[in-house]
Amino acid sequence: MSASISIKNITKRYDSVTVLDDINLHIEDGEFVVFLGPSGCGKSTLLRMIAGLESITDGAIEIGEKRIDTLPPGQRGVAMVFQSYALYPHMTTRQNMAFGLENVKVAQDEIDRRVNDAAKILEIDHLLDRKPGRLSGGQRQRVAIGRAIVKEPKAFLFDEPLSNLDAALRGRTRLELAQLHQRLGSTMIFVTHDQVEAMTLADRIVIMHNQKIEQIGTPMEIYQYPVSRFVAEFVGSPPMSMLPINHIEKTTNGVTVEVSGAGTVTTAITLPPEFNAKDAVIGIRAEDTEVVSEQEDGLDLTIKVVERLGDRTLLYGTLIDGTELIAEDSGRSKVKAGDMVRVAISPHAAHIFDGTGLAHHSQLEV
Amino acid sequence: MKALNYSPEHLTSNRRLFWIAALLGLIMMAPVAWIIGLSLKDNAELLKGTEAVFSFPYTMENYANILKSSSVFGWFMNSMIVAVGQTFGVLLLSSLAGYAFARLEFPFRKTIFIIVLFGLAVPEQAVIIARHQMFNWFDLHNTHIGLILPNLSSAFGVFLMTQFFRAIPKEIDEAAMLDNTSTFRIFWKVLLPLTLPAQATLGIFTFLQAWNDYWWPLISATKSDMYTLTIGIASSQTNFAQSEGLGFLGAQAIFASLPVVLVYIFFQRHIVTAVSGGAVK
Repeated sequence: MSASISIKNITKRYDSVTVLDDINLHIEDGEFVVFLGPSGCGKSTLLRMIAGLESITDGAIEIGEKRIDTLPPGQRGVAMVFQSYALYPHMTTRQNMAFGLENVKVAQDEIDRRVNDAAKILEIDHLLDRKPGRLSGGQRQRVAIGRAIVKEPKAFLFDEPLSNLDAALRGRTRLELAQLHQRLGSTMIFVTHDQVEAMTLADRIVIMHNQKIEQIGTPMEIYQYPVSRFVAEFVGSPPMSMLPINHIEKTTNGVTVEVSGAGTVTTAITLPPEFNAKDAVIGIRAEDTEVVSEQEDGLDLTIKVVERLGDRTLLYGTLIDGTELIAEDSGRSKVKAGDMVRVAISPHAAHIFDGTGLAHHSQLEV
Repeated sequence: MKALNYSPEHLTSNRRLFWIAALLGLIMMAPVAWIIGLSLKDNAELLKGTEAVFSFPYTMENYANILKSSSVFGWFMNSMIVAVGQTFGVLLLSSLAGYAFARLEFPFRKTIFIIVLFGLAVPEQAVIIARHQMFNWFDLHNTHIGLILPNLSSAFGVFLMTQFFRAIPKEIDEAAMLDNTSTFRIFWKVLLPLTLPAQATLGIFTFLQAWNDYWWPLISATKSDMYTLTIGIASSQTNFAQSEGLGFLGAQAIFASLPVVLVYIFFQRHIVTAVSGGAVK
């Protein structure tokens, strides 16, 4: 029942303002794709264009082999779950779920079967005669998903559906969505600005920035090999630390960079001959650092804030020239604010970004 | 929750307010009580002096006479037809216009909306001669349609419904669009039921205004069988010497007020909400 989605050269302009610029994307049948990006990057607009709620200025959208961007929303074969749920307040759960099917004249016994099946999957069968006003946020969310399921769409579209839920419920619903995807095997597109949702749910993440697709990849590809400084800083918590590079020296296995006057970092990154070191930075994730003894090579870090997370300890500090670096230590770390520690960096884990933000990684497996 | 204040000063001040309010209430109710008293007295007795209101016997004869012999019942039916017709008409047109202004894209939408709102600033007196002329041309005077038509275009109604439709999240429409719903069905099945509170408010005000309207029926209904209650009763009072008496006039007035009182009783909650601008749940 589900289908692939092809987005071909999609552009969206409001008068002279370009909201999406030449977007190309192919989503496989049954794939769970997450559009991730900061507010205003165009991710919701792209989703709404697939749904038919926004017109496209240029390009084409296909579901399966059929071009659908000229069809009205109800005939595209997609179902959408809104951030605000958008349930019909005057209808019961059952009526909410059945409404779309009644519009296309599905037989009543078939409507009943689909509604009951979906209600059972989502464990809302006891709520079928309640109106949305008498449901909790989580229950409303399930009804909204149920309304989408009964339509047996070719693709599910989720527009930040978890952002109105509290943290605990958000985590649980996230898990249930993942299970639902496994169970239905449907094509799903999920829009969020929450990277945890993206990392945990997606088969592939589409990172959007400045009206364009910045990177498409599996969660681990995106995390380990960000294509740009924007992706590196946007994905990951805590964010990747960016240290200005003063000098780069080629070695047999990669390059050694002198960082912020605080010391050198040896990396396994091979830079292309045309690499321009002007405004280049080295990016380091907290988990790729290690607190070492003063005798070992590394960068001296003055600790400003210590964040104890139980299994690990995050150390927020500054290097000699004031550059900020976030390092990680074990959960039993004795380091406290005001201490100076020496931090070593894994040579294969660092990333170098040139002045334009383009990333260079170690070719070795991290 | 605000703590209750039981201090002696507060209670005294509350009591004082209560008595002032009670006194004002009595002053306002006195004419109503007076009319009720008159309506329950024999006309011949009242001719001797209206102080008879304060003594027995009382009678329902005046009310019985309304239903039996006078034109009041016909006027009542005229008022009912006009008020109900006008109420449904205003609700229908205002809802359609409100939906269009709030949701549909069409050329000069904002300009047309401003022109409609301008109607709020135009007093009825300013257009009455032209309207009279038009209705004369179309031979609509002394008809129910002629009494209903002029007030169907309610600038207030259109404004109220537009604002209410605007307050409904657009995602509801979008969800309905994804549910393969036609534009009319979105209006009729999805959005219109959500505007019930606004419709109740508008309906009550329109009904009361139509029921109490005096100015246009006075001009349009010149034949006594087309009088509405307001015009009919006023005409009886003008011909006081020929009328069936003061008690009968009182009974007519009470009879005329009944629907309004009933509307107030049954829709009290909506009226309070309307008057308080939605501040009261």
